[in-house]
Amino acid sequence: MGLEFLARVRKTSTWLGGVLALMAATYASPLLGLGFGAGVFWSLVNLQLLERIVVPLFGTDRGSPGATQKLGFALLGMLLLFAAGAVLLSLLSPLALLLGFLLPLAVIVLKATSQVLLGSRAWGALIRHPFRAAFAAVALAVVTWFALGALTRATAQHATPTETSAPETHGTAAPGGSEHATGAEEGDQEEGGQEFVNVITLIAGANHGKPWADFLYHYEILVFSLFIALLLLLVAFLASRNPQLIPSGLQNGVETVVEGLTDFITGILGPKHGPRFVPFLGTLFLYILSMNLFGLIPFMHSPTASLNVTVALALTVFVYVQFIGFKELGPLGWLDHMLGSPRDLTGWLLAPLMLPIHVLGELAKPISLSCRLFGNIFGEDMLLVAFASLGVTMLPFQNVPFGIPIHALFFPLALLGSALQAMVFTVLSSIYILLMLPHESHDEHGHGGDAQHAH
Amino acid sequence: MDLHAALSLGLPLGIGIAAIGSGIGLGLIGQGAMQAIGRQPEATAKIQLAMIIIAALAEALTIYAFVTMFLLKGKI
Repeated sequence: MGLEFLARVRKTSTWLGGVLALMAATYASPLLGLGFGAGVFWSLVNLQLLERIVVPLFGTDRGSPGATQKLGFALLGMLLLFAAGAVLLSLLSPLALLLGFLLPLAVIVLKATSQVLLGSRAWGALIRHPFRAAFAAVALAVVTWFALGALTRATAQHATPTETSAPETHGTAAPGGSEHATGAEEGDQEEGGQEFVNVITLIAGANHGKPWADFLYHYEILVFSLFIALLLLLVAFLASRNPQLIPSGLQNGVETVVEGLTDFITGILGPKHGPRFVPFLGTLFLYILSMNLFGLIPFMHSPTASLNVTVALALTVFVYVQFIGFKELGPLGWLDHMLGSPRDLTGWLLAPLMLPIHVLGELAKPISLSCRLFGNIFGEDMLLVAFASLGVTMLPFQNVPFGIPIHALFFPLALLGSALQAMVFTVLSSIYILLMLPHESHDEHGHGGDAQHAH
Repeated sequence: MDLHAALSLGLPLGIGIAAIGSGIGLGLIGQGAMQAIGRQPEATAKIQLAMIIIAALAEALTIYAFVTMFLLKGKI
């Protein structure tokens, strides 16, 4: 029991407080969750400052000038902390703040109790025999099960009076927020309608009826995809801001990714044309990958789970491919390509047949690209939501605000699918580009090689 | 049989039938790729790339059925 114990308490309380605050924000109201989180944070800072005060006073180096200086800073911090506490109390719900404040203290009590219990002789006797230990575990599980059931039934009866007796939470959450609150009471918590709750639905729900909230809700996919684009920009900027000859840290990681993508795309398009298309195709890959994976972060949403985004991406590729065709082959060459490159009589006879086939084929490419990406990512999200709601309804207590997270089993599948679909999109785009490039490139390449050999 | 009954009967069936076809196709692709890798392990990277592309094409058919189902789901 010492400073190391306090550090462990801090870690546990941080995690527990974060999870509980997120749960409160989802099931009750965002402001309540914020208040709870602020309370936990305040309490943790308070503990830290107390430690800073106690250590110079009673530690080994008491009386030294350094210790006195630390003590002074800690006392100043304490004053600031109490001022911040007063401001917080006037802004947020006092009940949530109090609960958050009590959480680290509860963690300390529980940890100390468990340490005393684990050191005792009765515990040692219990765990020495596997049979006794198993019996104790089963007994504990059964008792917890029934206690939890009784507790939730009791709170369910009192739930409606307490909800109405705390007007500040309802008052701040306004009509839209009560939508979520009632949803939580009815038991279909994990999903708002057909998808996971995300930041924007939370904000829009809390500010129901206001024009900017409705606007945000309507364009949530755009907001998320712009946010991801900005994130990628930021990473690229930070990595290339101060380039070193011997890279380290972020620059190292980004260089690995870029080199891998360059190798991959050059492997498909060939060393002559490959490097030209790496910026476009590599950006496409990274952007789609980030968008696919974004839905797996709690309170976030995959923009690619909407047909609008995938159609936009596929149309970009379509226009780019046609532009490359015009540029590389010339208008006549492009027409020739569309006619199936007729060189003899049979070719010219078949040309009227080949033209519609080629045109249809070109038009089918964006449709298949967009539908594939959309279907896969959307299906993945639907799968996760379906299993999450199944996990919530698996527990028989209707009012327990948590369920069994069985959808976590599908996270590896979702990770694999996201990466694979981003790769498939990129590979197919590069193959469409490859088909548009001059077919004689191999001969040209051969001649170039010969010329180089000759000289 | 009215439109609603026909749709609610047909949509799941349609996905199932599409999935049968895709499944057979994916199995054949996987079989071919595994055999090719077994015969020529040094070409694994190239074979895997081609396999993934063709698997994506085969899998897309089920996805089309899935998308169609979602487009028509509103009419049930």
